[in-house]
Amino acid sequence: MAQAVQKLVTKVPSLLGAAVTYSKPRLATFWYYARVELVPPSPAEIPKAIEGASAIIKSFQSGRLGQITVKDAVRNGLVATEVLMWFYIGECIGKGGIIGYDV
Amino acid sequence: MVPPVAVSPLIKTARWSALLLGVFYGKQRFDYLKPIAEEDRRVEEAEKKVREEQQRIKQLAEANSESILK
Repeated sequence: MAQAVQKLVTKVPSLLGAAVTYSKPRLATFWYYARVELVPPSPAEIPKAIEGASAIIKSFQSGRLGQITVKDAVRNGLVATEVLMWFYIGECIGKGGIIGYDV
Repeated sequence: MVPPVAVSPLIKTARWSALLLGVFYGKQRFDYLKPIAEEDRRVEEAEKKVREEQQRIKQLAEANSESILK
């Protein structure tokens, strides 16, 4: 048991190095996309967001709902589900745990 | 690589406001549930003590009872 632990301890630096080498390009790709797609909206974009929301509400009222293709509807549904999942991630952050409330 | 797509501002605002709302909701619910859980734990402790007392009494009674099955 002690020998196995010793062997593991000597391998840790090389394992760390391998992990860093593996993750660097993937992290770079992630940042490449996240810097454009995942940033919070700048203050200039918030009025545009409100406009977009009111456009959606108006399209609901004018009955254009019946003219959306199924493909568009499915895509919008997926986007809405993704937004909902961000709420649950926020809840996990707020309650300080992934599964359940740690009371 | 595919160039990153320009996400509509509505979706961006919706995502991040959902995140913030979720954090607030999680914190609020946690603060609401914490005293209830402590109360439940306290009540459970008291009931457990009562139950163990009764078990002990029963055990003593059994040990002291006379029967011909010994």
